[in-house]
Amino acid sequence: MTFRSKLFLNFIIALLLAVGLVAAGVTLVTRRVFDEMNRQHTDAMVQQFQHEFERRGQDVAHRVKAIAEEEATTRMAVDLSRPNADVSVYVHDARGVSSSHQLDFLDFVGNDGAIISSEEYPARFGYKLPWVTQPEDWLARGAFLMRVETAQGPALGLMAVSTVRVGDRDLYVVGGERLGKEFLQSLVLPTGMRALLYLNLEPEFQEPNLIDANGPAPDADRFQPLVEKIEADPVEQTEKISWGFDPSNAEVLHALPLVGRQKELLGVLFVGSSQRTVVSLERRIRWLALGVAAVGLLLGLLLSWWGAARVTRPVQKLVSAAHEVSQGNWNAHVDVRGSDEVGQLAKSFNQMTTQLVEQREKLVQVERVAAWRELARRLAHELKNPLFPLQTTVENLQRAREQHSDQFDEVFRESTRIMLGELDNLKAIVSRFSDFAKMPQPELAPVNLNEIVRNVVKLFEAQFNAVGRPPISPELHLAENLPVIQADATLLHRAIENLILNAMDAMPAGGVLMLRTQPIEHGVSLEVSDTGTGLTPEESERIFTPYYTSKQHGSGLGLAIVQAVVADHGGRISVESESGVGTSFHIDLPANPPHKPQVFPMVFEKKEDEA
Amino acid sequence: MLRRLAITSLVLGAALALAAIPARTSRRPQYGGTFRVEIGAALASLDPATSAASASGDTSIWNHVDSLMRDLQNSLIDPASNNGPFHISSWQPSRLLTLQANDAFREGRPFVDAVEISMGRPLRDRLLDLELNKSDLTEIPAPDARHAADRGIRISQSQPDELLAVVFLENRATADPRARQALSLAIDRAAIVTYLLQKFGEPSAALLPQWSSGTSFLFSIAPDVPRAKELSSQIAPAPHFGLGYDSADPLEQSVAERIVVNAKESGLAVSAVGIAPQSAQKSGAAPTTDALVVRVAMDSPKPAAALDGLLRDFGAFGAGNVSANPLSDSATPQQIYDREREVLDSYRIVPLVWLPQVYGLSARVRNWIPPGPGENWPLADVWLDQNVDQNPNHGQAQGAAAAPKDRE
Repeated sequence: MTFRSKLFLNFIIALLLAVGLVAAGVTLVTRRVFDEMNRQHTDAMVQQFQHEFERRGQDVAHRVKAIAEEEATTRMAVDLSRPNADVSVYVHDARGVSSSHQLDFLDFVGNDGAIISSEEYPARFGYKLPWVTQPEDWLARGAFLMRVETAQGPALGLMAVSTVRVGDRDLYVVGGERLGKEFLQSLVLPTGMRALLYLNLEPEFQEPNLIDANGPAPDADRFQPLVEKIEADPVEQTEKISWGFDPSNAEVLHALPLVGRQKELLGVLFVGSSQRTVVSLERRIRWLALGVAAVGLLLGLLLSWWGAARVTRPVQKLVSAAHEVSQGNWNAHVDVRGSDEVGQLAKSFNQMTTQLVEQREKLVQVERVAAWRELARRLAHELKNPLFPLQTTVENLQRAREQHSDQFDEVFRESTRIMLGELDNLKAIVSRFSDFAKMPQPELAPVNLNEIVRNVVKLFEAQFNAVGRPPISPELHLAENLPVIQADATLLHRAIENLILNAMDAMPAGGVLMLRTQPIEHGVSLEVSDTGTGLTPEESERIFTPYYTSKQHGSGLGLAIVQAVVADHGGRISVESESGVGTSFHIDLPANPPHKPQVFPMVFEKKEDEA
Repeated sequence: MLRRLAITSLVLGAALALAAIPARTSRRPQYGGTFRVEIGAALASLDPATSAASASGDTSIWNHVDSLMRDLQNSLIDPASNNGPFHISSWQPSRLLTLQANDAFREGRPFVDAVEISMGRPLRDRLLDLELNKSDLTEIPAPDARHAADRGIRISQSQPDELLAVVFLENRATADPRARQALSLAIDRAAIVTYLLQKFGEPSAALLPQWSSGTSFLFSIAPDVPRAKELSSQIAPAPHFGLGYDSADPLEQSVAERIVVNAKESGLAVSAVGIAPQSAQKSGAAPTTDALVVRVAMDSPKPAAALDGLLRDFGAFGAGNVSANPLSDSATPQQIYDREREVLDSYRIVPLVWLPQVYGLSARVRNWIPPGPGENWPLADVWLDQNVDQNPNHGQAQGAAAAPKDRE
């Protein structure tokens, strides 16, 4: 992955994180706002219920008091205060009175608590309501919730009690309104809200006892846990109920416990707030946020791409320049403006390449001087050997002319023979140096490296087993499927000769000479190993330097010629050696050499230039 | 002292004699007038075979109307036969029946010239007409009799001859006799009579009224709630049964609802179920009911015959084979008692109340004797006092004075 891609990816991740955080924040804030709105609506509903409850309670208390103050009720109380009063005559009175006062429940209760007449449960006459006779200021208490027994079953009533006292006997008027769907219908509900009432009149949860404004509420079983929770702890509670997989079908229910005189739980008012509007608004806001985020992301992508390109362009230039330098073009220059870190890096890079070029030139100079010195030393050494006999011979010739004239002719012939011999040596030395200087360019043709190896080894077979020296055992490991390469067979032959000669010189006590060929990617390889004395690390480093030799009689050009041949074929040569174990030369040759020879080490380049 | 007492006695005797003169005069039968009768039932046909099925509305008086129709049967078949006291002069189905006195009736001409029977009249209108002297006779349901009397209407009631009872149907949830016994013990019969019937009735746990058998008092009517609770607690699972009543009969409904309350206090779960009148009268009661509140009328003043008739009717309601082994006409009171006891010990039939037939009379009606079991309306014997002021207020006052003890 490129630096630009990484930078772009980082930008995108940062952008996504930022967008995600903003979206989460918006969602959170929105939800809180909607929750607060819901709470306010619910509070308003609860307040409305409480106001309505209070108003109805006052109304019920007022109507019950009005019944108690009626002439007929007073007459009944007077009649019942007499000894052996016949209460049966009033058994049906509650029905007419309750309907005229629009009360759902009405009981006339005697001084002993026995029901005289009952609207809601006409057949219950004679039975007692003991709680009515308990000492209590009914006028001060006002209306209260109560479980009312009716002929159709228990009901929840908003009740009030009023008393008519005649002498020392009381007639109780117990009246009230049914708390049911009519009550719920009277509540004004905002859109999306509903009110439900659970009538807690049975020991166990009863689904039909949960009613809404239309009667028994559907799916009442879902309310059971909340009702049971409130039964355990009768305080206001809020819970969310999901009516399906769609979150918009959820409903937040606020439960308000309704308790009676003895704080017993008689009912639960549920104020349900549908989440449809809230979820719809949330969705709309979310989609809007997503749209803005998408546009932002797109813009961010483009800006990130542009920004990454802008940031990485100087770096790419640096990379290209560094690559050029690695390829040998030390004159590479980075054109980066600015004073930021990348600009400073570019300046440093340019400065570094400039210094490298200067250093290289200095090094070349040094190497050239060293080469010339080595050449001079070698030339002096090579030339010194024939010159010394020449000088001696000339001096002997002069001495013979002056001191032994009779022997002069003989000395002259001998001296000229010696001098001609040494001059031949000088010519040979000059010829070797001339040959190295005149290394030809390879003429490429399809060749089989195995064949060349075999031919060279065949030439040296006699020398491997020459009399008077320890034998050398050649071992050939030639790959059968070696590909044909484009090469100059003569130059390769010469190079391999030099390697074998070098190996033979390294094995004065005999040994094994191993030659191995094998195919490599896009070419072939040749390994020439001996079991000779080996090289020191310093010798390994300088062994390919022209005119360098570790031998007494070598010219120091053999391995230099090998390297020149390999380089001319676009190949590579390396040496591995261990002192006392042996030396291995590895040559890799491409199947198709480049048209132009590779850049050689500066030593050889300069040498060729000079040549 | 004795002298003063004698003088006082003479004065009082003379005053009583003077007060008795108009009364004696007014009690002398008079001919003429139209005897106006209003009933709640509406008869679509005068054919006795089909009239029962065609009746609608309040059917409490049906038995007597049925007898009346039987009397008229001969006249219908042969108006010139002179077999009945009246001829039918006009007939408007479900509305009005007018009868004309038969001058040639062998037992003598009826006192009234005509009888008009208006049908399908609701109770409120009947009572109003009676108060306004627009009618002379109407039947009044027992629960409303006291209220009518309080309004000043002359009330006439027969001996209790209709039994209100609970009949447990066979093969239902009440198969356990302890449940039936518990319900019987739970019911407060006196409260039913006092409150629901406003004292027009006789609480009873017997199959025959006291006036008929003389042994009714031997069957206790006192509720025994603790024993009822004990019995119901012995039954597992707790019995729950439906108590059916004729949905067109307010008295049956209120009694059934009261029984539900009594049962609840004794730990029995009973629910009152209103059913169609035809279903309540037949053995094929609604399948949701296990017992029925029914009314069964005596068809004979003789206890043995009456008991057989009652058991036959109860059997028809689905009480089982209670009518087996009928008593002979010569059955002794002991045999009758034993038979009653035998039936009641099974608790298949739980008697509640004996009801009288209650009539409201106008002030001018004389010689009205409420018919006993199996008897017809004494239309031929009734006469109208022409001297009675038809002013509603006057009539009301007179009626009110006569109401408490009008048992002619």
